Amino acid sequence: MKASILASDNRTIAEGEWHPAHSSLSVVARLVEDAGALVVERVPGGDRLATGELASVEVSPRVGSIPRRVNFADGSLFETTDNDAIDRWLLRSGRRSTSLVHRLERFHPRLVVLVVATFLLGSLVYRYALPVLVEVAVAVTPPVVPKIMSVSTMETMDRTMLSPSQLNAGKQREISEDFARIAALSPRGTAGYSLNFRAGGAVGPNAFALPDGTLVLTDELVELAAGDDEMIIGVLAHEIGHVELEHSLRQVYRAAGMAGLIMMLAGDVGSGIEDLLVQGGGLLALSHSRTAEAAADRHSVELMSKAGFDATAIARFFELLEQKLGDRSDTSMLSTHPGTPERKKAILDYAAEVQAKQQAD
Amino acid sequence: MALTDTATLPAASEDWHRLSFTGSGREYFGIWIVNILLTIVTVGIYSAWAKVRRNRYFYGNSVLLGRGFEYHAKGKQIFIGRLIVFAYLVIYNVLLTVVPLVGIALAVLILFFIPWLVMRGLRFNARVTSYRNVRFNFVGGVGGAFLAFLVGPVLAALTLGILAPLASRWMYRYIGNNMRYGTKAFTTDPGLGAIYKNWLLSALIILLGLLIIGFLVFLNMSLIFSLIDKPQSLPPELQAAMVTMGVIGYLVILVSFGIAALVYRAGVRNVAWSSTLFDGRHPLKSDLPRFGYAWVAVSNLIVTLLTLGLMRPWAAVRLARYVNTHTAVRFSGNVGEVFAVSEQDGSAVGAEFMAYEGFDFGF
Repeated sequence: MKASILASDNRTIAEGEWHPAHSSLSVVARLVEDAGALVVERVPGGDRLATGELASVEVSPRVGSIPRRVNFADGSLFETTDNDAIDRWLLRSGRRSTSLVHRLERFHPRLVVLVVATFLLGSLVYRYALPVLVEVAVAVTPPVVPKIMSVSTMETMDRTMLSPSQLNAGKQREISEDFARIAALSPRGTAGYSLNFRAGGAVGPNAFALPDGTLVLTDELVELAAGDDEMIIGVLAHEIGHVELEHSLRQVYRAAGMAGLIMMLAGDVGSGIEDLLVQGGGLLALSHSRTAEAAADRHSVELMSKAGFDATAIARFFELLEQKLGDRSDTSMLSTHPGTPERKKAILDYAAEVQAKQQAD
Repeated sequence: MALTDTATLPAASEDWHRLSFTGSGREYFGIWIVNILLTIVTVGIYSAWAKVRRNRYFYGNSVLLGRGFEYHAKGKQIFIGRLIVFAYLVIYNVLLTVVPLVGIALAVLILFFIPWLVMRGLRFNARVTSYRNVRFNFVGGVGGAFLAFLVGPVLAALTLGILAPLASRWMYRYIGNNMRYGTKAFTTDPGLGAIYKNWLLSALIILLGLLIIGFLVFLNMSLIFSLIDKPQSLPPELQAAMVTMGVIGYLVILVSFGIAALVYRAGVRNVAWSSTLFDGRHPLKSDLPRFGYAWVAVSNLIVTLLTLGLMRPWAAVRLARYVNTHTAVRFSGNVGEVFAVSEQDGSAVGAEFMAYEGFDFGF
């Protein structure tokens, strides 16, 4: 009798509890390996409760030290807290004992390396991978998308805020001719752009571009310019910049990328931090649109200089804004556009740079 | 059968059996950092498997009467669910920019799908949860979800929160009365009066926050008047003062609404769980100290922020332990054998949608 107990102890893999299929009842039991088969024996007594081929049982992957489950094909379940015993048995029987993931997860000084790697890779992904993904998405977007986008936006604007221009035909022709000069120098060419005159209403003195090259200039802006057509062309060159650099599509994809990122990490950072991330994402989007404005300003300087206009014409527009509207604000975290004085200075600096380069050539 | 003499759910006793949490921040740290690292390395794909490991850790360490719960969802199920929700979000955002009217139509359409999605989400989450080899189930229909998750929140918002307790009651009744453990049912009927008592406390906290802001505005009345008279004339020092005041006001609002929400959540949970019976006779109980819960949640957030997220595992374990140890069940009479009902898990789309939209309640 004593010998048989010892023998059974040698075969024992782990102690635990056993449930019949579909039942909450359990028996104290042990898992035993017997002649190539896996057997659950009642403790005490040793009655066979379940038997299964090694290949037909399913052992749950290890997570921390939560109980391990051994599922038999008949639906019964052996559960044990002795994770190490199960791991040793799996290793003995030539199966993968624990996943690589679990081995990484163990508390160990090397976790410091993982922390550093996480911070590094995280900022790399944010800094480089996300922009690359945005570029890929922009590249594979068929041109029909910005086309539909623009047509429907224009329709909505016309129906709600804009009305037909009151500008006389001669003035319109003058501006259109000058505009054609800068449009011809853009990669899309004159055919890639259409300039539309509208009375701005609530929009006020403004010019904006839609992603398919539709540009809108309001009568109020022409009035504000008081005959300085070159300045208007400078503003339009800025809008061409937005179109050439595909700013609006990028914005859409960046927003989608941020939403995806937050969705994936939400469970790991907790709901409080998730809310803060969403807010932070909004602020980042604002700062991105500031970068986009500055890029469009530089585009205006380059284009104007190429067309033989005054490269700093758009700076005059900001000067005018400053005088008429009293915008003296500096850039703050919360504004989409850089502060006017700052922006003017950046334009003048860049124009000097472009000019120096031209002279050097 | 030979199993009659074996261990089973306990016989009747007057004792409350509390849940415990056996995990530790130290152990979870490894799981957590590997989850995030692999999620980043695989550009998000691993996040589905990460969720399974995280949930298995938290369910498995939630222990009642010596036995833990188990989370059975597979990474692939979660991944497909996430893919569908993400595809919807991308299509929705593109449509909203490209053809705004169609985008808005899609948003309205999904609004009508919310009850169905929530119902399927609750069902999935219940069916992938087990205790002692028997899975939970959820048998609620779309109609109940419509009332609890669409009519309720809209009503609460329209009445500025005055009818929020009604919405809470609908929600807990919908979840609590349709939850099953194997073949046995849960029943609940949280009293409206008891929920309103909790609501009153939260309303007072918000009122206090508003009073503080009102006081701030009153102190700076002269400043504000001069601003209205001549908006251009404000010297920079006063402008800075105005900005500081704005920031303080924003923080006061944030803190008072945050604490009010946490206190309300804990209070309503206490009312709802404590009015729940399992199998018609075994009472459940939740006795979360309301301010204790708010303190744990708020200090968790602060500690996590100050340590750039590194203390998040500790914070998550701390909250789980706090909530578990304030949750209990008492057995009046022998529970006996509970039989499992075989059901398909179904798709994880609803569960992932709920997770994205921030619907958040344990099983």
